[in-house]
Amino acid sequence: MKNILYILIAVATFSSCQKDIDLDLNSANPSIVIEANYAAEDSTVSVRITKTVNYFGSEAVPTVDNATVTITDQNGVSQSVPFSSNGDYTLTNYAPQLNTIYSLKVVIGGVSYSASSKMASPVIMDTIAYDWFEGGFGFDEGFVMVINFLDPADTVNFYAARFTVNGTEFNRLDEGFTQDDALTDGNYQSRPLFGGPQVDSLDVVGLELLSIDQAIYNYLNEAASIVGGSTSAAPGNPTSNWDNDALGYFSAYSSSRQEVTLP
Amino acid sequence: MKYCFILLITLSSSSLLAQNFTISGSVKDSTNGEDLYGASVRVKELTNVGAITNAYGFYSLTLEKGLYTLVYGSSGFDQKEVKIELDKDMSIDLELNVPSEIQELGDVIVKAEKGNNNITSAEMNVTKLTPKDIETIPVLFGEKDIMKTLQLTPGVKGAGEGNAGFFVRGGGADQNLILLDEAPVYNASHLLGFFSVFNSDAIKDVALYKSGIPAEYGGRASSVMDVKMRDGNKKQFEASGGIGLISSRLTVEGPIVKDKGSFIISGRRSYVDIFLKLSKDEQIQNTSLFFYDLNMKANYKLGEKDRIFLSGYFGRDNFGFGDDFGFNWGNATGTLRWNHIINQKLFSNTSLVYSNFDYAFNIGAEGEDDSFGVQSSIQDWNVKQDFTYYANQNNTLKFGLNGIHHTFKPGALTGGNESFNELVLDSRYAIEMGAYIQNTHKVGNRLNLMYGLRYSGFNLIGDGNRYDFAENGTATTTEFDKWETIKYHNGLEPRLSASYLLTEKNSIKMSYNRNFQYLHQVSNSTSSSPTDIWVPSSNNVNPQIADQIAAGYYHNLKDNMYALSGEIYYKFLQNQIDYKNGANSFLNDEVEGEFVYGKGRAYGLEIQLRKTKGRFTGWISYTLSRSLRTFDQIDGGKEFSARQDRIHDIAVVAMFKINKSLAASATWIYYTGDAVTFPSGGYSVNNTFIPLYTERNGYRMPDYHRLDLGLTWYHKEKKRFESNMNFSVYNAYGRENAFSITFEPEDPDAPNGPQKAVQTTLFKLIPAITWNFNIK
Repeated sequence: MKNILYILIAVATFSSCQKDIDLDLNSANPSIVIEANYAAEDSTVSVRITKTVNYFGSEAVPTVDNATVTITDQNGVSQSVPFSSNGDYTLTNYAPQLNTIYSLKVVIGGVSYSASSKMASPVIMDTIAYDWFEGGFGFDEGFVMVINFLDPADTVNFYAARFTVNGTEFNRLDEGFTQDDALTDGNYQSRPLFGGPQVDSLDVVGLELLSIDQAIYNYLNEAASIVGGSTSAAPGNPTSNWDNDALGYFSAYSSSRQEVTLP
Repeated sequence: MKYCFILLITLSSSSLLAQNFTISGSVKDSTNGEDLYGASVRVKELTNVGAITNAYGFYSLTLEKGLYTLVYGSSGFDQKEVKIELDKDMSIDLELNVPSEIQELGDVIVKAEKGNNNITSAEMNVTKLTPKDIETIPVLFGEKDIMKTLQLTPGVKGAGEGNAGFFVRGGGADQNLILLDEAPVYNASHLLGFFSVFNSDAIKDVALYKSGIPAEYGGRASSVMDVKMRDGNKKQFEASGGIGLISSRLTVEGPIVKDKGSFIISGRRSYVDIFLKLSKDEQIQNTSLFFYDLNMKANYKLGEKDRIFLSGYFGRDNFGFGDDFGFNWGNATGTLRWNHIINQKLFSNTSLVYSNFDYAFNIGAEGEDDSFGVQSSIQDWNVKQDFTYYANQNNTLKFGLNGIHHTFKPGALTGGNESFNELVLDSRYAIEMGAYIQNTHKVGNRLNLMYGLRYSGFNLIGDGNRYDFAENGTATTTEFDKWETIKYHNGLEPRLSASYLLTEKNSIKMSYNRNFQYLHQVSNSTSSSPTDIWVPSSNNVNPQIADQIAAGYYHNLKDNMYALSGEIYYKFLQNQIDYKNGANSFLNDEVEGEFVYGKGRAYGLEIQLRKTKGRFTGWISYTLSRSLRTFDQIDGGKEFSARQDRIHDIAVVAMFKINKSLAASATWIYYTGDAVTFPSGGYSVNNTFIPLYTERNGYRMPDYHRLDLGLTWYHKEKKRFESNMNFSVYNAYGRENAFSITFEPEDPDAPNGPQKAVQTTLFKLIPAITWNFNIK
């Protein structure tokens, strides 16, 4: 909606112009950022721990390599997620239990951060298809991928979708797709994914449909709305499920995947 | 109760005088018979004895038997006198002429008229403007706009370019009650705020109350903007209009039966989209973008004592993007009024008022499988009864009551295809009521008081649901039947203002008012959008309450040629509303769960120097003010600046009559940039660089300033035809004011690399030309 309003304003004003400006921004104290996923499909827990940096500046994001990371299932059984490299912590072959809650705990220099997430059941993708789009609404002419699945009736579902093109994964926050079933509960979904990465003839396109919990669904939407600027009068940080003011999220999710080669 | 008691004493004490007679009637403009509201009728022989005409031009004055000289006048008119011998009750209609200096722009004689109403009236902080006052002031695209001109007066701040909303003394844009012939206008902007819905040709005058708001008005926390439509020329037929760069307008008016009734029809349509066809971009060519509006009014005198008025407004904006997308919105209002003079002292007005605002958008061509649309509306039916009682020469009472039935249709999704379910949000219903009594009271020769009390109530009724939210945000729903009370809010709103005349040239004034607001418009975007919804008070949303105290000093210099004023105010706001982070406001039945609640305060100093007479007129105003908010859930309860917290605000308006046929004007404004939220850091999640926000509204937009110039060329007047040509330049020195500041990567292919700030400027030097005419 907001984009359309902006187009309107732009159209209404022939004299509008843009220029780069110098802006003096404050430097916030560095905070901890934890990006944690438990992917049921891969039985893998991956955690990345970094710190915040100044907004303008080209410094590399500092990683945190001395953290203790543990995952706990709903029976209280804990397992350590070992450090692998450069702020990454990985636990493989960790078998998922669907529809249960997992907790993740991170301890850095005596300060402890925790978050929990519910592993939803996967919704199986039917097929993926593609269409030729003539262009319009600000999108160029080209292939549009279409994801097909049946939304389970009478359950609340939250989805995210992700692209892989010729083996390259697109998991940026502003490249993902989210959907809830508030307006579509129990219906067969055939959703075109406008605004995805550009795909061309003979590309191998993979799509993954993620079943996520509500907190992550909200997080992804809120985060996507502030990436690359926001039109909101009062942009805020996305609501994290971490406590102790850590940024980022912990998502336990299940998913299904499909691949297609474009003609 | 206490108020009523005081009232009773003051009324009974003065009515003991014997041998009193009443003189009553109306004050009109001699050229077209329009009623003049707020005109003064004074008695020359007595100090501080007089009456002010009510909204229908009616006055009444009770005096002891004797010989008197009535002096009557109104701003923008020559003052006149009439001698009367009062030995019985009498009825006199008075007529005023526009000053000769306006008719002949040549030699200017400064008249030794009194013209110090600003000093003597008890009404405080009311800003009145007529379209004539603003005729030559330069405006964007040459579209005369009374709402934009009001924003050049102290304490009133425009919400920025691309925004017709305005802020009064630190209050929110939804806290202004905008009335058009008593009907509330829910969205006062066209083309997303570049123009207001008020067509100057159809407007008689506008009064804006910033403090000491009279008790007859209620329903909004910060201000009242009362717009009155013209009644139409009672004496002869007349057509007037204008052809402008992006819109044209035509007004036809005349008597129905001479001196008994008149009508006016005024229409306006923009044609921005014609220019869009010239664009090379096919998408822009296929875009339609226009608005139109229509004002209609008729009045008829049924007899000596009765008069009826019927007025209506209909306006619509349309935006389309080929067949793919359509978006339209608009207001419709209607007012039926019956004036009845019960006796020489008691005037009655009964009104039935209708108001509707709706918007709709549709996506996909109609009839196609995958097309769908969204609609939303708010509709009011309002019944009002008001009385003016001219008790005696020292007391004028106003009292009345009203009831409004509101229907809110927050949203519906229709059409749709196999994968979309139709969705209709529950309508909400409410009854809003008010009852008031107010007295304008002269105490001795120097003190004028206006005191009143308003009781307001708001009943959210079924059928509908009550939502109770648990701590984790889940809602419990309770259903209510038709007319059953879901939640009742009510409150008492005391209003008081006083002026004390120090000398004939200067006075001090003070006021206090409490206002309740039961409807709330919550917006989380920087530009006003027709899709910003109105939410009624409920079990979750409490009414907004504003308390304001204000004081001012007024001084006229050089025979009332200059008027200097200084005012200070402090305003306290309760139950302010904002969205939570990441709130879902779109098609959400449980939208009340998406709000956070807080409080606010605003305070400031306003100084204005006006020159009201001579070839050179205008004003300079300066405002020093703050507007702050506190929400428990925002920044841990730390007080932060509201967006409109502009600390310094300066406006200069200058109008100069060069000679008989040329008038030049200039306006210059400057204000501190709006408070805004920018990132204070960044971090990486999912391989994406995300801004980190640490403080709400902790930064400032660049300061805003702009100069506009105008030149009006009056063609030689012929007997039945007048015309003028208006040239204007908006933003004459091409200041690049920031409409928005956004952030993006320096290299679009490296979104996680270094970021930069980009400023968007909307208007740099816009010339415009408009031709206006009048045929009699």
